[in-house]
Amino acid sequence: MKFQSQRIAYLFFATSLLLLPLQLVFGFIMGIAHMGWDGLHEWIPFNAARSTHLNLLVLWLLSGFMGAAYFIIPEEADRELWSPPLAIVQWASLVVVAVTALIGFQFGWWEGRKFLEIPRPLDYLVVANILLFLLNLVVTAWNAKRFTATGSVLLLGLTSAALLYLPGMITFENQVFDSYFRWWVVHLWVEGVWELIMGAMLAYLLIKLTGLDREVIEKWLYVIVGFTFLSGILGTGHHYYYIGTPGYWLWIGGIFGALEPLAFLGMALYALTMARRAGRDHPNRIALFWTVGCGVMSFVGAGFLGFAHTLPQVNLWTHGTIVTAMHGHMAFWGAYAMIVLGIITYTMPLMTGRKLYGGWVPELAFWTSNIGMIGMTGAFAVAGITQVYLERRMGMDFLQAQKAVQVHFGGVVLAASLLTFGIALFVWNFVQYGLPNVEAVGADEIGGAAETA
Amino acid sequence: MLSKSQARLFFVGGTIFFSVIFIALTVDTVRQMPALSNEDRMTEAVVRGKHLWDKSNCMGCHTILGEGGYYAPELTRVVERRGKEWIAIFLKDPAAMFPGERKMVKYPFDDAQRADLIEFLAWIGEIDTQGFPPDPDLALPVAAVAVRTDLAPPPPVFGTLCVACHAVGGKGGAVGPALDGVARRKTPEELDRWLADPAAVKPGTAMPKLPLDESTRAALVAWLSTLQ
Repeated sequence: MKFQSQRIAYLFFATSLLLLPLQLVFGFIMGIAHMGWDGLHEWIPFNAARSTHLNLLVLWLLSGFMGAAYFIIPEEADRELWSPPLAIVQWASLVVVAVTALIGFQFGWWEGRKFLEIPRPLDYLVVANILLFLLNLVVTAWNAKRFTATGSVLLLGLTSAALLYLPGMITFENQVFDSYFRWWVVHLWVEGVWELIMGAMLAYLLIKLTGLDREVIEKWLYVIVGFTFLSGILGTGHHYYYIGTPGYWLWIGGIFGALEPLAFLGMALYALTMARRAGRDHPNRIALFWTVGCGVMSFVGAGFLGFAHTLPQVNLWTHGTIVTAMHGHMAFWGAYAMIVLGIITYTMPLMTGRKLYGGWVPELAFWTSNIGMIGMTGAFAVAGITQVYLERRMGMDFLQAQKAVQVHFGGVVLAASLLTFGIALFVWNFVQYGLPNVEAVGADEIGGAAETA
Repeated sequence: MLSKSQARLFFVGGTIFFSVIFIALTVDTVRQMPALSNEDRMTEAVVRGKHLWDKSNCMGCHTILGEGGYYAPELTRVVERRGKEWIAIFLKDPAAMFPGERKMVKYPFDDAQRADLIEFLAWIGEIDTQGFPPDPDLALPVAAVAVRTDLAPPPPVFGTLCVACHAVGGKGGAVGPALDGVARRKTPEELDRWLADPAAVKPGTAMPKLPLDESTRAALVAWLSTLQ
């Protein structure tokens, strides 16, 4: 770690790793309810569990992105963060907003719009929070003598994400308008600007872990995020097939939605090629696991499984079924969860000066969590496809079809237990690192190679 | 070979190009959406219904227009499927209508709010959705299931309320028992007493007490008594 202020990232990473296990808890509540045991219905009805689960996901990923930005931007700007105290205030306000929102959900204080459930008064606080965050980073970059492409793409991604939150705050009385602009936030985040954030984090990790020439890595970063927007912007159309929008979206959404996997294929090839070409043997091998794994799993989850139901002919039958949950779980895991866990794995030894990346704990955490997620996706796929055939294509009553797929939610819960085991190990490893250490400032990154080699 | 500045140009240029197209398409879509969604029929009741829909986070379990949770039925065409009357009764006590099944929250709506919600759902059902949700294409042909064609047509209430749980001739729900041959098991008097207040006949029964007036009940009993 080069600069003192990079340590602020720790607060955000710790927050992420507190929220992630909580997300799993609510996931279990839903999975078990789908198995037919909804004993918690009186206290935590499904819609409360679902909103909490989704928003915990968004919050822990955002917190992870923010931590990553506080770590990466000073380094890419080659100077200390403009105002560390402001960053701490911003962190505290993020926690306050998050906790308020999550508790509010349990009492029905929400908006009832998928992924944007946070009620309007809190939305304004979110905006204020993001402005504080961006201000700090932009001033840091502005005052820098140099600023890299990686840093620019990261900042552009974060700024666009903030701007795209605004269409979600417009009130529409017409459900079709409401839905149309809700996707400006949800789709253009996860299949648009979040990919810039992910791409920049991937590039940063690859530069650090492989020791390859920055110019080459950043060139391909531009190509990949170019493909992201080439396909992803008009790809929004794959949400506009059946919601009361003109028929041309079937063509536009179909074609550009089908191109979206290209960007993720690019990410996967990028990570794999760079890792293979690596000019140095970085001792933090497990961070490279997460980095390359992110490229590969995002292609499988977001690219391939998204493609599986993006064409209108298929989506007509799968739209609004468990098939969507199948794609959603692995897509978020591969693209965003893994990159955040990757940056945490990479930065913790640098912030704390302790090199706990060897040994079986981090490695087992990587494998079990990934195998668990793959298993969950498989079980969701069987449940979803069965639902499509029984309910949508054969006309079986909804509840009867749901009973037929209950058993597959047993599979979801079982695989989720393995995922949870992996996450528990990851969190345990994180705790073992302890707090960031001033003495770690300026220490040589590769210095630990001799110990572990 | 591609240089870094060319790569950046590809990114910046592509982004601007496709953003402009997207915004142009959005302008056109926004122009067309009022007609596609029949905005002229979006009454105040519909708008109140939407607020209730959002406030109660119905999307947390249900989908409309295919969007929402996958825990409860798709509601885009629910008014066509169940009828307004059934939905109004169902919303008063969801668990009573599907005893022992997956539960729905019992919301403290009053009659006016229930009516608003139903108006909202009826309006949703009229939106031009490019054919979503599609009719089942692999459903067994009608001739393949044992459908009784020799029955007198049932009173309308049977089609809006009873079939949600009970089947006759292989068509209808499976929550309650099938009613084929019910006349052989129950006398008209027994049926009448049962429909008037199921719990009085059999305490703890899952069958809800439905708001049927005297003449509706009489018509229902008369028809059920023909099911030999």
